[in-house]
Amino acid sequence: MATPSTSTASSVWQRPWVRWAGPLLLVVVLAVMPLVLSEFANQTIARIGVYAVAVLGLNVVMGYTGQVSLGQIFFLGFGAYVTAYGVSNDWNIVLVFALACLAPAVAGLLVALAAARLGGLAIAMVTVALPIVGVPLAKRLSDFTGGSQGMSARFAEAPEGSGLYDDQWQLYIVLIIAGVVFLLTRNLVRGKYGRAFAIVKGNENVASSMGISPYRYKVLAFTIASLIGGVSGFLYMLVIQYTSPETMTFGHSISLLAAMVIGGAGSIVGSILGGAYYVLVPQLTNEVDPSLTALLQGALLLAVLFVLPGGLVSLPRALTRGRRRPRAGRGSAAPPTTPSSTTGSGTAAEEPETERQGHA
Amino acid sequence: MGKFVQLVVDGLSTGSVYGAIALAIVLVNQATGLINFAQGGMAVLSTYVAWWLTTHDVPLILAILVSILFSLALGAVVERWLMRRFERGDPDTAVVVTIGLLTLITGICGWLFTYNNQQFPSLFSLDTVSFLGVSISIRSIGTTVVIVVAMLLLQGLFVGTKLGLALRAVAINPQSAAFSGLPVGRLLMVGWGLAAALGAVAGALVAPQLTLTPGMLDSTLVYALAAVILGGLTSPIGVVVAAWIIGILENLAAVYVPFIGFDLKVAVPFILIFVVLIVRPQGLFGRKVVVRV
Amino acid sequence: MTLLELEDVTASYGPVQVLDGVSLSVPDNGAVGILGANGAGKTTTLRAISGTVRTGGRVVFDGKDIRGLRPDQVAALGIAHVPEGRGTLGDLTVRENLRVGAYLRKDGKEVDRDIDYCLDLFPNLQDRIRSNASALSGGEQQMLAVARAIMSKPRLLLLDEASLGLAPSTAKNVYDAIRRLRVESGIAMVVVEQNANLAFTLVDSATVLETGRTVLTGRSAELKGMDEIRRAYLGG
Repeated sequence: MATPSTSTASSVWQRPWVRWAGPLLLVVVLAVMPLVLSEFANQTIARIGVYAVAVLGLNVVMGYTGQVSLGQIFFLGFGAYVTAYGVSNDWNIVLVFALACLAPAVAGLLVALAAARLGGLAIAMVTVALPIVGVPLAKRLSDFTGGSQGMSARFAEAPEGSGLYDDQWQLYIVLIIAGVVFLLTRNLVRGKYGRAFAIVKGNENVASSMGISPYRYKVLAFTIASLIGGVSGFLYMLVIQYTSPETMTFGHSISLLAAMVIGGAGSIVGSILGGAYYVLVPQLTNEVDPSLTALLQGALLLAVLFVLPGGLVSLPRALTRGRRRPRAGRGSAAPPTTPSSTTGSGTAAEEPETERQGHA
Repeated sequence: MGKFVQLVVDGLSTGSVYGAIALAIVLVNQATGLINFAQGGMAVLSTYVAWWLTTHDVPLILAILVSILFSLALGAVVERWLMRRFERGDPDTAVVVTIGLLTLITGICGWLFTYNNQQFPSLFSLDTVSFLGVSISIRSIGTTVVIVVAMLLLQGLFVGTKLGLALRAVAINPQSAAFSGLPVGRLLMVGWGLAAALGAVAGALVAPQLTLTPGMLDSTLVYALAAVILGGLTSPIGVVVAAWIIGILENLAAVYVPFIGFDLKVAVPFILIFVVLIVRPQGLFGRKVVVRV
Repeated sequence: MTLLELEDVTASYGPVQVLDGVSLSVPDNGAVGILGANGAGKTTTLRAISGTVRTGGRVVFDGKDIRGLRPDQVAALGIAHVPEGRGTLGDLTVRENLRVGAYLRKDGKEVDRDIDYCLDLFPNLQDRIRSNASALSGGEQQMLAVARAIMSKPRLLLLDEASLGLAPSTAKNVYDAIRRLRVESGIAMVVVEQNANLAFTLVDSATVLETGRTVLTGRSAELKGMDEIRRAYLGG
């Protein structure tokens, strides 16, 4: 038996109170943070929270289930518009929140039911239409959306007796809602649904042969992604208090996707990094030279895909692996919609390829 | 009646542009198994090259020819240096790479040529010609004819030349083709170059109408993808026909269906897809693709 | 004169090592068989020659070390590989398949003559000359695959499981044609074949592989006489 005087590092970390200490510390920091930071910092963090949720949603369908989607920003916009409309008509805020979640989810369900049928890259090809159709649609339905002018809605004012400033109150709400969404999603992807998603992502035919219907799980993943997108739209209205057709342009759609990949596809923490990237980096590049922003973003996305496919979140892992094994393994390029894929991309000389199968 | 014919002719013209991009996408897909979301962006970059030359007093036709040469090189370089790593891997990953490429190219265009609308000279006169009492735009006819000719030339290359045979062989089974000595890598570069060239032609033809901006073909990409879905990835003729149908129907819908109007025209292809998909998941012309585990 | 020499060749697919010391020698105009159970590494040995797998050891063709060359470069040197599964280009016609085989050649008229020769060698292909290769039967596809390979006028032909999936009479037809080819053109061959009886009708000598290593080499006549060979591969 182990002698009492030797306690290895691993056994210390396994003690329950140590495992709880980390998250507990995090909660304490998050609770205190809004009170000590400046208004600008709080607003920035709140915006990061909004987009972290949006990226998380995208991760569910793209990072975890491997389906490229260019439509996530549409669901954010949809949720924001629902929120704006509800608030402008003085609906109960809980009802507004529920609708902001459900309406985009229903839309996502419909889109997925059609697109997932096609297999292959159909979801990518169809979702590209969502922002492109969404913008003129938002302009057209001006009775609901305020047309090109957009809609404002202020509804997150700090309650009288709390002694909080608006920005602090808003950040708390964002942290709570985002926290819940992240927690629920984390449980989802670590549970049996997450495993099913991963199998569908890896090889659809293997999934079918295991009784896991790729179609059903793609639809499920996409619907969840849209729902989470709706939540992020609600938070968007809460923090930014204004939405317009500009919210869901094709350019933003690509930026969101890029943020997801750069932050880390298929990763909870990566989603947060993605949100941070989405909010902070354009601010930086705009200061350098606004016309360079798109170029830098494209270059950065490509750089990540080539050099660090797992995104920023995989940087620590990549660095330690690099130190342990100085010679990089050949054919170990991990595709970025997965940090660890079963369908690796080997070089042509290595793999026994027979006639290439068709991709739909 | 006159209006109807005009709309059909104009629809054929825009449909040809969609079809050119869609065909380029199919070409690239058959050779390398991935969907190039940057196909339109590459065409725009080539069109900017042509435009830049025209601002330096190069005659339009020459400028366009140079831009076609540029696009051949661009396609080859993109395949060799960017996409090759991702060709045999997960197609979803490859798509994300092409999205990155699209962003980069858009950024390059914006940085080099600004985001302002630039006027691109029209190859065809803006007059109309009267045919059976209906006035038809010369530009629409010209655009359609040029693109159809380009497609036919491409088809002739594929079916009638040794290079074309080699390209087809590589698309079907690259390793088996290599066993017969075909230089697979080089042929893939040629394939991508030809696809880019087709896009360049389309870009130069449609730029006068859309005005040249870095994002000029973003919507066109959407239409092209819709044509690919409807026509099926395995059928080049299918996607071209689908593109024409989309072009014509959206024009008709814009005028005859008040709810849709001009601003929501872009929804038409997707309504079409929704309807067709329910009946025929593999598209109008495509074959069911069998993937072995 | 040795046309092809394999010396202690190793090969792996990623981390999995499949060949662990294969040695083989093919004289000019010679035909060597590779025998062995499933998974012994027969197909991989051919791939080591044609450059489609990462290889260690020495692979010398006509005095030149060809290890590390790309498959199309190996083909350009005069080695034609007919892979397992045939690799016929399904969406192309029979004639187009043959033309692809002649891709590296510059002599147009000779190519046409050789197409005629192939059709003479494999008469079944005559009627199907304009059909898509995917419409051909298994036996016809095998014939087409061999015909395409010889269209490049190779010095060495690599045949992988030419009888796989074919009815015995069809397989015999294929081998008859290959035997005739060998006599008429003097092409050297390396023949991987599960059906050892069939292989011995074609090859002068054979090498037996077991888990990626050469365990036995000998002239056909000797091998056919050995009890172990008879029991393991010739049905007793």
